[in-house]
Amino acid sequence: MNVVEIENVTKTFGSVTAVDDLSLNVPKGCIYGFIGPNGSGKTTTLRMIMNIFYPDSGIIRTFGEEMKGTSTDRIGYLPEERGMYKKMKVRDLLLFYGELKSGRKVNKEVDYWLDRLELTDWGNKKIETLSKGMGQKVQFISTIASKPELIILDEPFTGLDPVNVEVIKNAVLELRSEGSTVIFSTHDMNVAEKMCDFIFMIFKGKKVLDGTLVSIQDKYGSDTLRVRTKGGRSTLDSLEGVDKITDFGQLQELRIHPGSDHQKILSSIMARTQIYSFELAKPTLYDIFLRIAGPEAKEEADV
Amino acid sequence: MCKILRFVKREYLAAVKTKGFIIMLLLMPVLMGGSGIAMYLLQGQVDTTDKRVVIIDRSGIVSNMVLKAAEERNSAAVFDKENGKKIQPAYVFEAIEAEEADPQAQRLALSNRVREGNLHAFLEVGPNVLHPTGEQSVFGIKYYGKNAAIDNIRNWLNNTINPYLRKIRLQEAGVEGAKADEIMTWHQVQAMGLVSMDEETGEIKEARKTGEAEAILVPVVLFFLMFMLVMMGAMPLLQSTMEEKTQRIAEVLLGSLQPHQFMAGKVIGGLLVSLTGASVYVVGGIFFMNRFGLTDFIPFHMIPWFFTFLILEIVMVGSILAALGSACNDPKDAQNLTFPAMFPVFFPMFIFMPVLQEPTSAFATWLSMFPLFTPMLMLIRKAAPVGIPAWQPWVGLIEVVLFTAFVVWVGGRVFRVGILMQGGPPKLSNILKWAFRG
Repeated sequence: MNVVEIENVTKTFGSVTAVDDLSLNVPKGCIYGFIGPNGSGKTTTLRMIMNIFYPDSGIIRTFGEEMKGTSTDRIGYLPEERGMYKKMKVRDLLLFYGELKSGRKVNKEVDYWLDRLELTDWGNKKIETLSKGMGQKVQFISTIASKPELIILDEPFTGLDPVNVEVIKNAVLELRSEGSTVIFSTHDMNVAEKMCDFIFMIFKGKKVLDGTLVSIQDKYGSDTLRVRTKGGRSTLDSLEGVDKITDFGQLQELRIHPGSDHQKILSSIMARTQIYSFELAKPTLYDIFLRIAGPEAKEEADV
Repeated sequence: MCKILRFVKREYLAAVKTKGFIIMLLLMPVLMGGSGIAMYLLQGQVDTTDKRVVIIDRSGIVSNMVLKAAEERNSAAVFDKENGKKIQPAYVFEAIEAEEADPQAQRLALSNRVREGNLHAFLEVGPNVLHPTGEQSVFGIKYYGKNAAIDNIRNWLNNTINPYLRKIRLQEAGVEGAKADEIMTWHQVQAMGLVSMDEETGEIKEARKTGEAEAILVPVVLFFLMFMLVMMGAMPLLQSTMEEKTQRIAEVLLGSLQPHQFMAGKVIGGLLVSLTGASVYVVGGIFFMNRFGLTDFIPFHMIPWFFTFLILEIVMVGSILAALGSACNDPKDAQNLTFPAMFPVFFPMFIFMPVLQEPTSAFATWLSMFPLFTPMLMLIRKAAPVGIPAWQPWVGLIEVVLFTAFVVWVGGRVFRVGILMQGGPPKLSNILKWAFRG
């Protein structure tokens, strides 16, 4: 069963088409990652799912029903920019947001999550006294305290230190294991690769990727050769059959031209320098993202 | 509905659970009544410096009388009879000869003395003042001073010279003594309330004497109370909506509330804040007046009208303010919109005096029928001692109910789009587009 069904949805703002003929299905119980460069249409799509923006054309169904005019009580929403009443106390704010969403008391859930995210001592402090990271955790609790079936998180990891990223990641995984469906947008490709069952990429309002990580990588094939050599980056120039070299310092990633023989390339490198290690791999999500939306793609488009 | 109530509860408590609200509740009447209180306190603060006035009397009959009258006034009114303290300035008149060769030079010299502070003013009496014939310059009386128009001495001279001249004219006509006094008698028309019958005893009660202050006190107090309560409950909606938008709270709330529920919650919250203030002032006022035996002065018949118009005013103005607040992107936008947004409240403030003086005039009637101004102007007309036709408040009420419903509908549409629209100051064209095209 699909929790969200988007059919041929288009949304424009004046002369700008933010989302262009988008179709997407989000199955129940999965974690769906939305990726894409800034201004590509991620937030607009999420807001349309939330019924905050109405599509100009097309249909959006959540839980099998069209959203227009109905409430979004079964969906928890964490917007990209955090919005909290600065003068309210943490616990009061969480109870208010939770009860506003669910229409019932959520004291137990709020206490559980405050404890789980190590914020119990801050329950009676005003929002304005919290650090940015703490504020983000409080906003996260406000999204999930009502136990929503669908959780939409717009950039949930932005501005968090690694410890808090782990805390939120684990919380998201816990919610998924309890049956919630999670959609989140992110710029962190590592997080998307590791956490998401499905990845959707939107670029200039259009869907450019949609599927599991494996299926997306399969589209590109094993066209990446990762090597560690004694000579480093300087010894890899002008190799035949290599389209692009990405230098990570200790490691170089070589994109093999379609149809080229990776054995030949390795032989050429061995002739130039000593190879410590090598791996023939599928492209990472990061690399795929850059291929679609990076300067390279722009150059190709210009040609 | 439950969601709106939860949001209303937050909005209401966020407003009333602050020290600021309590302070405002106490300070508002002081601020509003401040000018009245200041006038009352400063009433006794009179400049007691003697006022020297020169008289150029071309008639030859006025100056002596003025000098004598001033002496009598000075001996009676300048010093407090009990403690001997000087409480009024003495009027010191000095008669001088008119310089017929160059009267303008004489006027200039005297004017310069006034400018230098050696003289308070000078008075010029025309030669034909007793029998006014010829040009005005020949029979008129002119008082020259720095602040002649509102000078108390000018009023005193008016009330001293005119009866004296009339008496002389009567004498010349052969009317003297008591008969002349009778002719000169002036009747002040006394203001009275209406006669009423005691329902229990059937006894007809005497009408009460009413003063000007009493006649205008009830409508003015109700009018200013409504103004204060609108400032208290509706005015903050512009700012708070703008803040909720710019601090992105609106987007979180819109994940749980429909835009019309969001706006309704804000307006109802503001309304409850105003009604809390209204209850405190009305109950407190009744208690205070009962305590001091002034129950007769409480306008009980006006209280339902007051609350009805107050509710409609807050909903109408609150919807306008919330909608405009949703179109703002920073405090400067909100500041720029404050005056136009509060026009329905400020405009009645500018014109309430003429409306109160002539509540049945076409001017007052038509303006009070214009729905934006109906709650405040109809209230003051209804509360005025002069009765207005009974149908007018009802027609005004129906108009304002319909108009308020329209404003809420339009405001809701503007709010829905504006609350998520970022960038650029609010433009009237955009607001109208959002209102009518969504």
